[in-house]
Amino acid sequence: MEGVFSYAPAIAAFPLVAFVIALAFGKYMPKKGAFAGIFATLGSLVLSVLMLVAVASGEVYHETLYEWAIGETPSGIGGIEFTFGILIDPLSALMLVIVSLIAFLVHVFSLGYMNAEGETGLPRYYAGLGLFTFSMLAFVFADNLLMAFMFFELVGLCSFLLIGFWFRTRSAPSAAKKAFLVTRFGDYFFLIGVVAIAATFGTLQFAGDGSFVAAAEAAMDGTGEAWTPAGIGIESWVTVTGLLVLGGVIGKSAQFPLHTWLPDAMEGPTTVSALIHAATMVAAGVYLVARMFGYYALSPTALAIIAFVGGFTALFAATMGVVKDDIKQVLAYSTISQYGYMMLGLGVGGYVAGVFHLMNHAFFKALLFLGAGSVIVIMHHEQDMWKMGGLKDKAPVTYYTFLAGALALAGIIPFSGFWSKDEILFDAMIVGLEEPVILAAYVMGLLAVFFTGFYTFRMVFLTFHGEPRSETAEDPHPVGWSIKAPLIVLGVLALVAGIANLAPVAKLTGLDITFLQGWLDGEYGAVEGLTYGAYSDLLAYETGVIGSEQLTVLLAAGLSLLLAFSGAGLAWKLYNVPEPVAHKERLGSVRETIEANYYQDEYQVWLAEGLTLPFARAADRFDQTVIDGLVDGVSTGSRSAGSRMRRLQTGIVTNYAALLVAGFIALLVVLGFLGGWFL
Amino acid sequence: MAVFDLPGWTGLAPALILAATALVLFVVDSISPRSTNRAVLAGISVTGALASLAVAVWFIAAGVGQSGLEGLGVIELFDGGAEFAGGSQFVVDQMALYFMIIVAVVTALVSVASYDYMDGHTYQAEYYSLMILAATGMSLMAAANSLVTIFIALELASLPSYALVAILKDNRGSVEASLKYFLIGALSSAIMVYGISLIYGATGSLQLDAIASELAAADADDYAYDGILGLGILMLIGGFAFKTASVPFHFWAPEAYEGAPAPISAFLSSASKAAGFVIAFRVFTTAFPLEVTAGLIGIDWTWAFIILAIVTMTVGNFAAATQDTVKRMLAYSSIGHAGYALIGLAGLTVDGGELVMGAAMMHLLVYGFMNTGAFLFVALAEYWGVGRTFEDYNGLATQAPVACFALGIFMFSLAGIPPLGGFWSKYFLFTGAIGVGSTAMLVVAAALVVNSALSLYYYSRLVKAVWIEDPLVDRDALTQPTGLYAAIVFAAVMTVVLLPAFGPVSETAIEAAAAVI
Repeated sequence: MEGVFSYAPAIAAFPLVAFVIALAFGKYMPKKGAFAGIFATLGSLVLSVLMLVAVASGEVYHETLYEWAIGETPSGIGGIEFTFGILIDPLSALMLVIVSLIAFLVHVFSLGYMNAEGETGLPRYYAGLGLFTFSMLAFVFADNLLMAFMFFELVGLCSFLLIGFWFRTRSAPSAAKKAFLVTRFGDYFFLIGVVAIAATFGTLQFAGDGSFVAAAEAAMDGTGEAWTPAGIGIESWVTVTGLLVLGGVIGKSAQFPLHTWLPDAMEGPTTVSALIHAATMVAAGVYLVARMFGYYALSPTALAIIAFVGGFTALFAATMGVVKDDIKQVLAYSTISQYGYMMLGLGVGGYVAGVFHLMNHAFFKALLFLGAGSVIVIMHHEQDMWKMGGLKDKAPVTYYTFLAGALALAGIIPFSGFWSKDEILFDAMIVGLEEPVILAAYVMGLLAVFFTGFYTFRMVFLTFHGEPRSETAEDPHPVGWSIKAPLIVLGVLALVAGIANLAPVAKLTGLDITFLQGWLDGEYGAVEGLTYGAYSDLLAYETGVIGSEQLTVLLAAGLSLLLAFSGAGLAWKLYNVPEPVAHKERLGSVRETIEANYYQDEYQVWLAEGLTLPFARAADRFDQTVIDGLVDGVSTGSRSAGSRMRRLQTGIVTNYAALLVAGFIALLVVLGFLGGWFL
Repeated sequence: MAVFDLPGWTGLAPALILAATALVLFVVDSISPRSTNRAVLAGISVTGALASLAVAVWFIAAGVGQSGLEGLGVIELFDGGAEFAGGSQFVVDQMALYFMIIVAVVTALVSVASYDYMDGHTYQAEYYSLMILAATGMSLMAAANSLVTIFIALELASLPSYALVAILKDNRGSVEASLKYFLIGALSSAIMVYGISLIYGATGSLQLDAIASELAAADADDYAYDGILGLGILMLIGGFAFKTASVPFHFWAPEAYEGAPAPISAFLSSASKAAGFVIAFRVFTTAFPLEVTAGLIGIDWTWAFIILAIVTMTVGNFAAATQDTVKRMLAYSSIGHAGYALIGLAGLTVDGGELVMGAAMMHLLVYGFMNTGAFLFVALAEYWGVGRTFEDYNGLATQAPVACFALGIFMFSLAGIPPLGGFWSKYFLFTGAIGVGSTAMLVVAAALVVNSALSLYYYSRLVKAVWIEDPLVDRDALTQPTGLYAAIVFAAVMTVVLLPAFGPVSETAIEAAAAVI
């Protein structure tokens, strides 16, 4: 199987070729370049699956392909090398399959969503999708932090291009700009973090003995050396650099407080939203934490911050999702909330749980978005849920697949979302029993389950149940197989993907069925040091149980299920009626706050307009007046001095003689006086 | 054939060849008066200059002036025999040969360029013979080792120059400039000759080594002639300042350079200036050793050069910045560069200074190419008749890209932009000045930087005019005169290739400087 790895670069290269083809020849091709994208992503998918099989057979791949610069570090620890390389281990192989699968399905779905709806500018659309997929795939198999950063940025650029696809509207370009700027704000810290890590350890590799993770570990043991600024202790410095990189993660994965771009990003085509939320842009952030989990594992402080931010975001976003009327908006807040769970899971050391939820979420969130896209097609591009209703019978495929996704999202047993979310909450709970901060994060995550159940089923009931509340809902637009097929594939996955890691069942029955845990722990094959077991050894967390482990498992699962069912049940009671009405008014003043998204946008706009802009103006004024004035003054002074010099040259030779003699005498007086010649 | 097989007087061969060339030109002129056979006249001049160059290069390569086993030692000439212990009147050492090379190169370039420029002018033979005579004077200046030979060589260089500036007899500007040049020159020569007489009065000697030994023997605590000697030295500096166009003896330069035919401006501003510097270098390193002289006159004479350097580069550059005509801008820039080269004398110290003086010599060599090239571009523009101001030069690049590319090289090299030759010589001047370490030299170094920055303004203005601006009027197609083009391109190539060649050049220059100090 080893030979298969030599095709690894092609995984990313296929979509890149599709990008070029769609851009150059899309206009002349049938379906405007869609097939190029479909075949490219299919190729990537096939190769990714081959990689997965190869890794399962015990092989891993870690190869530097191209070295583009070698430099010195301030620490003087060797020369630092900047390279492009590929790292395929269990984590990246899994992620490659997820990304290429979702990208493939999104391409297929686009045939029905974009081509059939007669959109213009399709070559640009498919080129964007191709570049987006390429960037994400290359990011996933990057073997060093700098390469990861570069493709991370490229992912950001592609999301800008695709969110702003309908650039003639007012809102889409603005949303694209917002997404770009907000994530860029986080990436700024990421870049500083990359530089700091490079300067500290002289390497940016993720894996192997020469990795910065290994270097940091050695430095903390006292067996290695590392440079830190101003003599900061290495523990604190690892925390600081880890948090700097986390800035990029928070921006991309839409965690509080940089989550504000994501709801606006709904301005892009729904297919793009599916790609962004499930497999690319937003997933990139969490994936990065998983990729360099060994580094974070060295710093309990950084982990606690990740966990707390995650837990808080999960609850915070879930409450906002409760009052939204636009079907895509609800999904957007659910995404923020779900990535909060993943961060919580990773933050409490639940590496497997976090990755498991990343995988499940990719499937069910892609499903929900594509389902929403299908609904939007059915409803003739109407997105307000209050104008829908009763679609259950008119679009059964969409309904049942969407329902599967909703059950997974809400965390109802036995759908995939339940298993991963439960595992995260279980991991958080056992750590939280010993650590108060984690306990707080856990409680927030737990509460969010209730809201998740509520808003999910509010969405389902308003959209599909009851009586049709508009003319379009009574007379839906039919959808084709290019829409239905991806939904069915994802619907099945949303139902069964949980089998990958039935941890609670395993703990209760003692069966060895935690396949994903084994996979990530290197049972099949892994790069040394990048396994769950290795990470667990680094973690400083202590765990507690209530009674016995089995009791704790049952308690955690029961608690989250109870909350999920009560949320869903409340929604059923309020909205599963023939003529549902809005209940938001009952919330009173809380409603206004939530509808305004807790004024997050307002204060960020204030930060930009009230604080940054005046400061920038002041700096500009300083530049315009003082700096420019200085420069202009110098040049004006030089010119006037120059013209005075020029006036010395009168053109009259007697003046010259006089000036010459005068100058000579002046020189004589000065030197003669100093030399004492006149005495 | 080794050098030491030849009689001693052949040491002056580079200068003698030039003198012979001038005589050949006279012969041609007397056989065929008013000859306008430019090919013959220019050919003879170029051949003479190249022969002079070849001999000088051969000498320096053979080791003339180098001490040690390999070297052939310094050639001393006309020392009057054993019974007259006055010392030699001429000396051929590395510095002399180095400057002979500069003079010969510039003469050759200017002769080639003049072939086209003088097309249609009368007095062709006079033009070339005067030029070669002036070059002879300059070449002799490089070797002169006594105040008498220095003065004679200087006059030999100056007198033909006055006539050359006025060679366009029907051109009012040319004649007026020449007259002014002559008057200022006469005044400066008077001052210098008076200075020489004062020095003779104080020391009883005219030969440089003899002056030095006389000064060394004097009693520093009770020296009666300190005022006379100091004034004499200062007046001597006046004479050199005239020749190098340094403030306040620079007033002739803008007018003469502007009024003269452009090749003559190139000749005067490059070769003549270099010759002025070589006598200054020689007199002050040989006749007036720093420590001894300072003990007698109570002050370091480097102070005079520090003041002159700062004032000269500042006046030159600031005045150049506000000029409207290109030729006059180059004239003032030439004054500014004299200021840079003066750092070579300002930076001398009791126990060293060869680095900074070597840097000044390097600068003069690079300057010989880039400044000559720049003036020859003006000659080309005058040949085309495009006009004199910056605006008149607008958009020339579209019609003559090769020449304008060369112009860009000259301008950026003059401004001191890496990686051109001008950058390296200025860089060595700067590091040399910093290396001296005194406060005054730091001020000089700062002035060098500030003035270089300012100079970039007006140099790039010209580049912008030819490359970026659109022409004000439609021009007819421009011809490509072979001689001018050849000279310009050669100068441009040399300005660039001096960069890799800088190792040997700087070695030679610093060695030459070290030998005389």
